[in-house]
Amino acid sequence: MQQGRQLDEIRINKELLNGALETPGWWKWAVLLLGSVVIMGVVVFGIQTNKGLGVTGLSRPVFWGAYITTFVFWVGISHAGIMISAILRLTQAEWRRPVTRAAELLTVFSLLTALSFPVIHAGRPWRIIYWIFPYDFARGLWPNVRSPLVWDPAAIGTYLTGSTLFLYVALLPDLGVLRDRTTGWKHAMYGALSLGWRGNPRQWRLQTVAGVLLSALMLPIFVSVHSIVSWDFAVTPGVEGWNSTIFAPYFVIGAVHSGVSAVVTMMALMRWLWKWDNFIRPEHFDALARLLIVVATAWFGFTMVEMLFSLYSLEAQELAFRDMQMFQWPWAGLFILFLLTGFFIPVTMWLFKSVRNSIVLMFWTSILVNIGMWLERFLIVVPSLARKQPFVYTWGSYQPSFVEFALMAWSFAFVSMNMLLFARFFPLIPLFESKESQIFTTEMKIGRTTIPAVLREQE
Amino acid sequence: MVTQQDSPYNWGMVVDIDRCTGCQACVLACQVENNVPLNTENLYKQQRIYSWIRIERYWEGDFPDVKARFIPILCQQCGNAPCEPVCPVYATYHNNEGMNVQIYNRCVGTRYCANGCPYHVRFFNYWEPVWPESLRNQLNPDVTVRSRGVMEKCSFCVHRIRRAERKARGEDRLVMDGEIQSACSQACPTDALVFGNLNDLTSRVSKMSKDDRHYKLLDDKLGTDPNVVYLARVEEKVEEGAAAAHG
Amino acid sequence: MTDQVSRRKFLSMVGASTTGAVLFVACSSIPDEEFIIQAPVELPEDLVKGRDNWFATTCGVCDGGEGVVVRVMEGRAKKIAGNPDYPINLGKQNVRCDSALQMLYHPDRIAQPMARSSKGSGFTPITWGEAEAKLQEWAGSGRVTVATNPIRGQLGKVAGDFAAKFNGKHIQFQALEQGVLHGAMKSVFGADRLPEFDLGNARTVASFGADFLGTWISPTRYSTKYGEFRNAATGSGRGQLFQIEPRMSITAAAADKWIPNRPGMEGELALAVAAVIVEEGLVSDDNIARFTANLPEGALDVFKASTISLRAGVSEATIHDLARSLATEGPSLVIGGGSAGAHTNGSFNLNAIYSLNILLGSVGAKGGVFLNPDSPIDGLPSTATGASFADWEAELAQWRAGNINTVIIRGANIAHGLPRSVNVQQALDNVPHVVAFADVLDDTSAMADLVLPEASYLETWGIEVPEPAPGYQTVGFQQPVSTPARTRDGSSVLSDGRGFGDVLLRAADGALGAKTMKEFVDDAADTLQSNGGGSVTAPTASLLMRGLLQRGGWWDTNARGQTRPKDAPALTNLHADPEFSEPTEGEGEVFNLMPFASQALLDGRVAPAPWLQAVSDPITTAAWTTWVEINHHTAKRLGISQGDKLIIKSTTGEIEALAYPHRAVPPDMLGVPIGQGHEQGGRWAEGRGSNVLSILVDKKDAETGALAWAATKVRIINTGLNTEIAKAEGTVEAIAVEPGVPILVVEPGGNAKETLHHLEESYDPYADPNDN
Ligand SMILES: Nc1nc2c(c(=O)[nH]1)N[C@H]1C(S)=C(S)[C@@H](COP(=O)(O)OP(=O)(O)OC[C@H]3O[C@@H](n4cnc5c(=O)[nH]c(N)nc54)[C@H](O)[C@@H]3O)O[C@H]1N2
Ligand SMILES: Nc1nc2c(c(=O)[nH]1)N[C@H]1C(S)=C(S)[C@@H](COP(=O)(O)OP(=O)(O)OC[C@H]3O[C@@H](n4cnc5c(=O)[nH]c(N)nc54)[C@H](O)[C@@H]3O)O[C@H]1N2
Ligand code: SF4
Ligand code: SF4
Ligand code: SF4
Ligand code: SF4
Ligand code: SF4
Ligand SMILES: [Mo]
Repeated sequence: MQQGRQLDEIRINKELLNGALETPGWWKWAVLLLGSVVIMGVVVFGIQTNKGLGVTGLSRPVFWGAYITTFVFWVGISHAGIMISAILRLTQAEWRRPVTRAAELLTVFSLLTALSFPVIHAGRPWRIIYWIFPYDFARGLWPNVRSPLVWDPAAIGTYLTGSTLFLYVALLPDLGVLRDRTTGWKHAMYGALSLGWRGNPRQWRLQTVAGVLLSALMLPIFVSVHSIVSWDFAVTPGVEGWNSTIFAPYFVIGAVHSGVSAVVTMMALMRWLWKWDNFIRPEHFDALARLLIVVATAWFGFTMVEMLFSLYSLEAQELAFRDMQMFQWPWAGLFILFLLTGFFIPVTMWLFKSVRNSIVLMFWTSILVNIGMWLERFLIVVPSLARKQPFVYTWGSYQPSFVEFALMAWSFAFVSMNMLLFARFFPLIPLFESKESQIFTTEMKIGRTTIPAVLREQE
Repeated sequence: MVTQQDSPYNWGMVVDIDRCTGCQACVLACQVENNVPLNTENLYKQQRIYSWIRIERYWEGDFPDVKARFIPILCQQCGNAPCEPVCPVYATYHNNEGMNVQIYNRCVGTRYCANGCPYHVRFFNYWEPVWPESLRNQLNPDVTVRSRGVMEKCSFCVHRIRRAERKARGEDRLVMDGEIQSACSQACPTDALVFGNLNDLTSRVSKMSKDDRHYKLLDDKLGTDPNVVYLARVEEKVEEGAAAAHG
Repeated sequence: MTDQVSRRKFLSMVGASTTGAVLFVACSSIPDEEFIIQAPVELPEDLVKGRDNWFATTCGVCDGGEGVVVRVMEGRAKKIAGNPDYPINLGKQNVRCDSALQMLYHPDRIAQPMARSSKGSGFTPITWGEAEAKLQEWAGSGRVTVATNPIRGQLGKVAGDFAAKFNGKHIQFQALEQGVLHGAMKSVFGADRLPEFDLGNARTVASFGADFLGTWISPTRYSTKYGEFRNAATGSGRGQLFQIEPRMSITAAAADKWIPNRPGMEGELALAVAAVIVEEGLVSDDNIARFTANLPEGALDVFKASTISLRAGVSEATIHDLARSLATEGPSLVIGGGSAGAHTNGSFNLNAIYSLNILLGSVGAKGGVFLNPDSPIDGLPSTATGASFADWEAELAQWRAGNINTVIIRGANIAHGLPRSVNVQQALDNVPHVVAFADVLDDTSAMADLVLPEASYLETWGIEVPEPAPGYQTVGFQQPVSTPARTRDGSSVLSDGRGFGDVLLRAADGALGAKTMKEFVDDAADTLQSNGGGSVTAPTASLLMRGLLQRGGWWDTNARGQTRPKDAPALTNLHADPEFSEPTEGEGEVFNLMPFASQALLDGRVAPAPWLQAVSDPITTAAWTTWVEINHHTAKRLGISQGDKLIIKSTTGEIEALAYPHRAVPPDMLGVPIGQGHEQGGRWAEGRGSNVLSILVDKKDAETGALAWAATKVRIINTGLNTEIAKAEGTVEAIAVEPGVPILVVEPGGNAKETLHHLEESYDPYADPNDN
């Protein structure tokens, strides 16, 4: 349905490679700024490792806080890739084309960031290898397969592998183009990375099949990754507010909400920073906003159901926990902020076409969604622990420390910096996908043979 | 839930809250016996104190008809312990003597077990514990000093159990009732804490655990199957009118 | 059917993989043993090298004198526990006992003798030789006062004899003095020593002001007995405890009924109870006759429950209930002390309270009061108590007047413990030679001219006579169980401390009958051996000695005190209202100030031990500080919230303390723990909290001259500053949100399951737990 302008291939190449071949002036400053935040994060982590987790605001009983929240947050964001590249590809939503790569990239980097949070969070990060590595066969000292904390790395590792492969396979044709347009060490680098891509029909067929297969393989991951992350909480019978059967689908849909919103944020940034107005167009925002209305509403439904179910039990500390979460300052403030930013403000706004077509408004509403989604995870993780079981004597509270804020800032800087670094060397918008979308009906001459440019029928 | 056929021992404790006066003797005895780090003023304010056994105080009513009720809470050594399955590295596991055991060397400090434990009896070393040099003289050589970043909790004085079991093995017999006392039960002046082998039907702890007043914390709700059994506080119903007229 | 088989087959196939294991665990069909890791090596707990030994000795940290066993490994003391043989504490201990280890290894222990050249100059380290020379010279140069904590046994004798030899006086000091109690024992039971309370066999116990489970006299012993009392070891049924006391102590919390009364009215309440019993004829005529023998005709008439109810703030029904329980559900026991004796009418209160035992026929009866015998070794004091405040005022006047040449201080922290109305510093400045023994410098020893490091009880010999004894003759033997504490690397000793007794004996140069405490111990073994009998007997003194040291003491259950029923004393001051100090002028609400001994720090003598600083108070759960307990409604009315820094002002001074509003404080009372507010005392005690003793006003008990420490009125001013209180309770006030969780209360003979079931049936989730 929504197609961009018809552009010639030369123009496409020129515009889309402007990140990789002609670095914009702001790039260096942006990377420098983000890089310094990243370095600060590393230093802070060093201090925390040296002094102990006492530097955080964690306590007893609130043993998990901002780090786990941020971990869940980034796993949620990583659903951008799955949603765009797998779901939308398999449902053949054409408007996805310009953003597939950026979404996959966001997935890879947010997963890397997410994976670092359990390490940051652990009391003895230097021993973290015990966690996933069966290091002592002789005594049968395996990691404990009953622990969701062992399922997490498995699920996330699978997702990360799949996404990386997907990203790479899709990058091959563009790497070929880059190889052909560069000289010197860059030529050599792109040459090695492009794995001898020549763009012959067999390679195209393999590349496409691989893309479709990977998409299909990622579908179960779509369901599993955030389900498993949700089980970190859901399987814990001792924590009211965590121990809920609704968590798996609730978390998955929430992840899609935040992931797709993150894609919107990113699209707006790409359009502004690289001036890709020809590729990222208001129609795309409109389409994503329509999708988001559906996703957000479904997610909101889950939120309500989860609250109703838990209140229905009328258990004392469940009530106490909800009471704190919804009615006690400052939690009540966060709760209202969460509802407004996560659902009411953005969804109400998206109902208007003018909003959906305004890139500025879409940018800010998508930011709001992710503020809301971070708060959602925070309001699940912390109040439940602060009101754990009817041992009122030990009920506590929590406030993140500077160190935790610094490492949260680190995670945002780390993802953004990596995206920028990537954009410096590789096209953020896939050349071939953009071209492909323009030439559904054409045939292509390669040497003496004529091949169909698309491998499927156009609707 | 866990079957313990392969050991003659199933260590357990009976806590008679009708006797407990909240005197804190057990708390300090445990602290001393198990090299539990000093609860500095800062640790208190950070809500991070270590107290492998603690006395919770609950209020009931208002002045003058007010009650302060005490209950000692320690690791319940759950037969079906919610802290165990969640530990990714098997640093906390169930042994065949009915105890939930913590291996400090293995612990990577995820604190997941502590979230899982419904009784709030797991204590995380947020900071490296410090003993002024001369005070290190008092450390119990039988018990590891934990470093920062690991979880710790009541061990049921496992080192005392091991010593007694080794002695008994050497003499080709089983550990006798009363031969092992945890540091807390040894200290408790009112005898509110009784430690022993639940597998031995003649032991004091087995008999007491079948008292009419026995109940287990949260067991009905969560099925944790604790090896720590509580005996209820006894109190006559207050008749109306007997209330003090103060002020 | 086939369907099922194939499903099982499928599952068993999957079961071979780890995913299957997860499924199986979920279905509980794999034996859990599969998940128990078995290690081929033993756990580190199995690998400890070295042998431990448990040595028996006696402890003198608190005033009771318990027997302890100390676990020693490689010469280092590691753990202190109650001596299971010792008749006083029967293997049990209280929160303070282990702290002696920290005093032994305290990093701020005084390393060697120190002297200053003139008042006000700094200390310089000197050798023991120089120190002893000074001590000898000073002791021989004029009048001497030996000021100590109350000490009995050999040490008490040595201190007394030393003072006598040097033409001086041995005066003892107790912050919360028990002189009123000792006086009451004399007048009611005609006994010099504190009696044994047979709590374990009692069925009804009424305690007026005595926090006997927490801090009063011999809490470890009373707690062991209390355990028996609760579980009806005697088969007489579970006992009932009434605690009559304005402040909720842990004894009040443990009681079946806490009766908060108006301060100082305990004696009248006791007589009101007596009046009910007499009027209703609830006890035998014999007992009534004994009780009323010395009372004026009709004396009880003014103590009608209806009158006293109004005066004492206790309902008539409660007085009747208490009287009936005591009289009809015996054996009964009445105890009094603590704040009940800390008023201007303290002696009247305690005399009246203890006389109830005569009315109830509890003297010498099972479950009642037993008098204690004298010590089995001639001349060893078996009782000791602090001199009254009046005596101390007189003594300090002597010092101030320059009449005393040398003051030797040991364990008497008078600079901290006496009210500010007597200026201890100024008095000491007028004494030419002040010698102090101390392990860690305290507020008083810091004012001395010569400071001598004192060895811990774990490093010295001694003979202790416990008080109260268990009803029969008991002697505790104290031996060095630890090699002198060394620094961690072992290069030097932590403190070159010496025993107080040993130093005095050397200074007296043989004039006190022996040159070391060890000689006395040997002599005592000789005496006991030649007397024969008792818990340890042996053919020779050296064998007996071995037995004594193994068991930690000697006792003879046959050598009991003579307890004959006696007439109650004539109660003087029958109508004396307690007097309170005048509040200061100025703003601020007026309250009765109720100081109380801290559960861990007691009167502050153990404040240097960090473990004890870190113990949370049972009621407030606070630690490391001085807090002030105030009624939560009153606090709300005055705009005071938890952690607010309050200034508490009496006419003689003011202190700061952090507000801790709670629901168990009478609206017109403030409770403030004693034990903090030291200027000295090592890194953990110095400058921490405030010293409530310093602002007490010098009201005295009319009969004994003891300080009426519960008779001060104060005003409070909120500074508006707020600090977080270090406390163990979480961020929410602990009121159970569900009935029966975690504390289940059943009725006598009740069944936990049924009660829980009943509670669940009647549970109203909509009810606010605060509305009860
Ligand atoms: N014969 C025989 N001997 C054995 C074994 C055996 O099977 N057979 N087993 C061995 C085993 S498995 C163990 S665990 C040991 C147990 O004995 P240890 O090796 O003593 O192990 P821990 O008790 O954990 O004590 C180690 C302590 O070192 C401190 N620590 C940690 N890191 C550092 C560091 O970097 N520097 C310093 N200075 N201190 C640090 C921590 O406080 C920690 O508590 O016994 C070992 N000995
Ligand atoms: N890569 C790597 N590997 C390591 C380590 C490392 O640092 N790095 N650390 C090593 C160290 S220090 C340790 S401690 C180990 C931990 O690993 P192990 O020492 O192997 O610890 P567990 O097997 O968990 O020890 C407890 C075992 O003892 C059993 N057990 C408990 N009580 C008793 C009992 O009374 N009788 C008998 N017979 N068995 C009992 C329990 O069932 C359990 O199987 O891991 C070791 N492996
Ligand atoms: S904190 Fe240690 S014991 Fe607890 S779950 Fe994590 S690794 Fe296991
Ligand atoms: S009480 Fe807590 S730590 Fe102890 S076994 Fe149960 S769940 Fe584990
Ligand atoms: S059993 Fe041992 S480790 Fe557990 S609380 Fe008691 S003293 Fe502490
Ligand atoms: S020592 Fe005994 S009586 Fe004292 S608090 Fe502990 S359990 Fe209660
Ligand atoms: S109660 Fe006091 S005197 Fe008795 S053993 Fe303990 S510390 Fe020593
Ligand atoms: Mo080990």
